[in-house]
Amino acid sequence: MTPKLRLLIIIALLALAIAAPIGHKNYIIYVLTSWMIFTIASMGLNLTLGYAGQISLAQASFMAIGAYITALLTLAGWHWIVAMPLALFACFVVGLLLGYPALRVKGHFLAFVTLAFNTLVFLVLRNEDWLTGGSIGLVGMPRPDFGLFSTMKQLPFYYFTLAVTVLAALAMWGIVRSPWGRAFKALRENPVRAESLGVDTRRITLLAFAIGSAYGGLAGALITPLVQFIEPGSFALAHSLRILLMVIVGGAGYFFGPLVGAGVVILLPEVLRFTEGYYLIIYSALVIVMLIFVPSGLIGVGARIRAKLWPKKQVRADMAEGASLK
Amino acid sequence: MYRKYLLAISSTLLIGAGAARAEDTVKLGMVVELSGAGAPAGTNWRDGVKIAVEEINAEGGILGKKIELGEYDTQTDPQVSRALVQKAIDEGAYAILGTIYSGSTMVNMLVAQQNSTPQFVGSESPSIVQKGNPFVFRTSSGSQKGIPALTNYFTDTLKAKKVGIAWVNNEFGKGGHDVFASEMKKTGIEVVADVSSEQGQADYAADIAKLKQAQPDAVFVYMNQEESARFLIEARKQSLAMPLVGEVTLTEAKVVELAGPAADGAIAHVGLTAAATDVPGIGAFDKKFEEIFKRKPTHDAIKGYIGTWTTKYVTEMVGELDGEAFAEKMHGLCLKAADYPKILLDTCWDGKGEMSRPSFIVQVKDGKAAVIGTVPAN
Repeated sequence: MTPKLRLLIIIALLALAIAAPIGHKNYIIYVLTSWMIFTIASMGLNLTLGYAGQISLAQASFMAIGAYITALLTLAGWHWIVAMPLALFACFVVGLLLGYPALRVKGHFLAFVTLAFNTLVFLVLRNEDWLTGGSIGLVGMPRPDFGLFSTMKQLPFYYFTLAVTVLAALAMWGIVRSPWGRAFKALRENPVRAESLGVDTRRITLLAFAIGSAYGGLAGALITPLVQFIEPGSFALAHSLRILLMVIVGGAGYFFGPLVGAGVVILLPEVLRFTEGYYLIIYSALVIVMLIFVPSGLIGVGARIRAKLWPKKQVRADMAEGASLK
Repeated sequence: MYRKYLLAISSTLLIGAGAARAEDTVKLGMVVELSGAGAPAGTNWRDGVKIAVEEINAEGGILGKKIELGEYDTQTDPQVSRALVQKAIDEGAYAILGTIYSGSTMVNMLVAQQNSTPQFVGSESPSIVQKGNPFVFRTSSGSQKGIPALTNYFTDTLKAKKVGIAWVNNEFGKGGHDVFASEMKKTGIEVVADVSSEQGQADYAADIAKLKQAQPDAVFVYMNQEESARFLIEARKQSLAMPLVGEVTLTEAKVVELAGPAADGAIAHVGLTAAATDVPGIGAFDKKFEEIFKRKPTHDAIKGYIGTWTTKYVTEMVGELDGEAFAEKMHGLCLKAADYPKILLDTCWDGKGEMSRPSFIVQVKDGKAAVIGTVPAN
């Protein structure tokens, strides 16, 4: 794909995103906003999993940390614009603290460590009622107000979330194009070779993990004003697995993978709701079919078809079978 | 009498408005847990609502308009439930029926409130009516009312000096636990074991062992359906001897079905029970439900049924589809079963949407819940 064509597609997508909610009622706008927020969360996990090759089952707990910090600060009267960076910073630091010991282990073991961390965060949120409201949660968080632009209504909040998502995507674009990004990929494709080339693999992996966690925190900071109610159950392990599914269905290691994956996981059940009692069964079956036939994710479908038609074109060998526990 | 009078007026108005108007429908949005952890409660609620809708439509609908029921599955996820209440309102729902899990209700009732849409909920967490939302109404009293009704049973009948509490640590269990613990403190009964468990927990061996060791005179069990059943099975396995007393869920049809013989002997205070067949309305509902769905209705089914019928009664009192007038009418309203038979029991709502009506103490005997006492409305 030429850079010009890519730019055109991105502009078209952006125009589509701006036009998407127009003429729709609140429910559709709410679902589209959730899509944006989960795109940010899975973008973070995509950095850890797709680019740095480390599987994490704790993304929902970083969303929780971001969401609770934002909720507590905004309920105390702070503006979202101040609360959000603090939430991000906290997630980055926790990501470093967790990553430092956790990244000594890899693959299955790292998955278990992050799984335990997710459970730990859930239990802390539930049992420390004095701070987090326990299982009753926190309610009534305000949506940010920027003078002339108030996001109290659903449509302005969608555009606000879209703007944050675009900024987050631009930052991610910068990260994966930077020398760090190259190092992440080198690490995933061949850690021994990367190390032999002078890449400090531990530091780079840790950095990917912490940045990925901060993206989870940003998603959390947006969930708080969207739902205006948070409780520990919304950040349990099942939600981490859901974010993992988004990354894998979309295409781990592809920049637009999370956008597609979050779209499938959030929008597909909604589209299927007309089947009433069967929609979750059909949805699960479709996900299984997708994972069997396109293990490299939906975004890789084009590349696979091209490889079939023009076999000389090289596909990325590491992505041919999708992300796996190594 | 009053109802007949209203019906006469509304029919006249309808005839005046012409045939096209007569085809109009009233949309009700049933937003409830049809999958996930809350499915046993949610599906019963749905089936109760369905029976009510069928009956109401057979009698000519609400204000002469047929009910069109929208079904929305929250997957027992509060965030999804919020989105679906929004969807139901977007699609023109005049009132919302659901949700049952308090965590979901806490978040979605804000949406109904913003749109001035009345909402009947099956949730029992005390905080729901304490938020000052004028559009939310319960279909059973909250645990802050239900549990104190049980206190006398502990002091007078069981003559307990020390008790144990086994509860599920979610917003439902936590609310009940706190009310019960403070009630016990007030009456001077010592809580010798306080055992919390997780939603979806499979193994209750350690919990039962702990209770056994503490040797209380009775144990208060406050969990959702599936957890209650697993708890009862384990209690039977380890021969836990003291009476197990619960609120609402412990003796429910679903629990009895899942726990089998292990449920025998369990006692509970319930706001509503299909076992109260002496009450004519409940007896008829129980029979009809079993005929259609081939299983016993739970209290959630009766709650859904009552919520739907109340929507009809109150809307016809107001005389038009106006959410705000509906909410205003509901506050301080008392409906007598003699005048409004489908309300089943004399019921009142206070200024906050909390309700009161007579309730029952039931015990499971030979796999069936039987009423062993009644508690007057408080």
